[in-house]
Amino acid sequence: MTAAVTVVERPDLTGKRRALVLTEDRVGHSPEFRDYFVRVFDLDRLGLARPGYLVAPSGGVYELVFVGRSGEAFPSGVEINAIVDALEPMDENVVDRDLWAILRWMIAGVGAPWSVVDFDATGRLYRLPAIRSTQ
Amino acid sequence: MAAAVSPLALPDHIRSQWPYTPRFTRANGWRMHYVDEGTGDPLVLLHGNPTWGFLYRDVIPPLVAAGHRVIVPDMIGFGLSEKPTREHAHSLDGHSANLVALVRQLGLERMTLVCHDWGGPTGLSCALSNPERMRALVIMSTWAWPTPPAEFHTRIFPWRTMHAPLVGPYLLGRHNALAGRGVYLSVVDRERFRQRAQAAYEAVLPDPATRLLTWTWPRWIPLDEEARAKARFEWLEQGLARCKVPTLIIWGREDEVFDASTFAQRFKRLLPHAEGPHLVTGRHFLQEDSGPEIAALIIEFLGRTPRTGSQ
Repeated sequence: MTAAVTVVERPDLTGKRRALVLTEDRVGHSPEFRDYFVRVFDLDRLGLARPGYLVAPSGGVYELVFVGRSGEAFPSGVEINAIVDALEPMDENVVDRDLWAILRWMIAGVGAPWSVVDFDATGRLYRLPAIRSTQ
Repeated sequence: MAAAVSPLALPDHIRSQWPYTPRFTRANGWRMHYVDEGTGDPLVLLHGNPTWGFLYRDVIPPLVAAGHRVIVPDMIGFGLSEKPTREHAHSLDGHSANLVALVRQLGLERMTLVCHDWGGPTGLSCALSNPERMRALVIMSTWAWPTPPAEFHTRIFPWRTMHAPLVGPYLLGRHNALAGRGVYLSVVDRERFRQRAQAAYEAVLPDPATRLLTWTWPRWIPLDEEARAKARFEWLEQGLARCKVPTLIIWGREDEVFDASTFAQRFKRLLPHAEGPHLVTGRHFLQEDSGPEIAALIIEFLGRTPRTGSQ
């Protein structure tokens, strides 16, 4: 399932809108998460120049906007936007499952001591709909 | 910048358990909700993450009936208080200062602070910085030292995963996992909790943005030398070791996270004059299982405690 999330180039956004679906103010709470995004999206070189893009298992595209904050390592925060048809409501269940898959991809990429096994177990403990739909 | 929850939004069966007049003040610019019932020397009942004053619904009536003034604030970010939507709005010192602001606005003297969860570090900071206002302390299922509170808090599963970057906003934000299932797992009588109380904790955190403090507080727990709150917790531990304020320790017998044999006993070593620990039925949210018993212990304790203070 983690392989189903892929990094892609900026898609054509004509007729689309950005729908904010998840915000993280403090990605450096565990610095290895910030380091992962820096590595995957070449942020040391690109800085604030452009967002990152992912394709999730549904085929939906998600934009990662990296946020800088004076006095803190970059990026300090991350915002995830679903790229959806401009005038259409999004399917929230699909977005929720996609976010779960994106977080799984992130955990797998960050690596030990973080693990997808623990992530899935946490989802089961809290009975998340997204993990129920994958069982 | 902030989301408001009207008391009127509470379901009827919750309102019937929480009949108190809502009162509001400004603490450091934030709108703080509290209730203020009864007359007499004041008790201030402090909740933590992810609860609100409702946690004390079974404690308030006996204390009022016994002749105490009972003040129950909702921490900024919880309950019916204002809920900042940026993580940087929250800090341990800021929350302690919010409590100090309320105490001074109300002119509280001969005060007893009842501390639970994050109401511990904030309430004990308030007590140590305002000793002239203190009559007594009650300490329940909390900690006040710079090392990780429990081995549980160092584990990747489930604790650190639950509030990891982006996972916290997803799990605790989008899915309200702490106020719902999290509290449910941390009481003894889960069916009673589900029927009577769970909706009260979920209702005041209706949208993801209102739940921000549920994943922000866990990130303030010191796990290493670089932790933001390490110096404050060192100050707390050192201050408590010199503290002579009469103290009562109450703990949940079934509390497997802040287990009594470790945590209550460490408070006892810090505060050797303290009474207790008295064990009652309860996990971390012991007020859910033993509210009247906790009230009775506090009433008996204050009956034996001199009315000292600045007035």
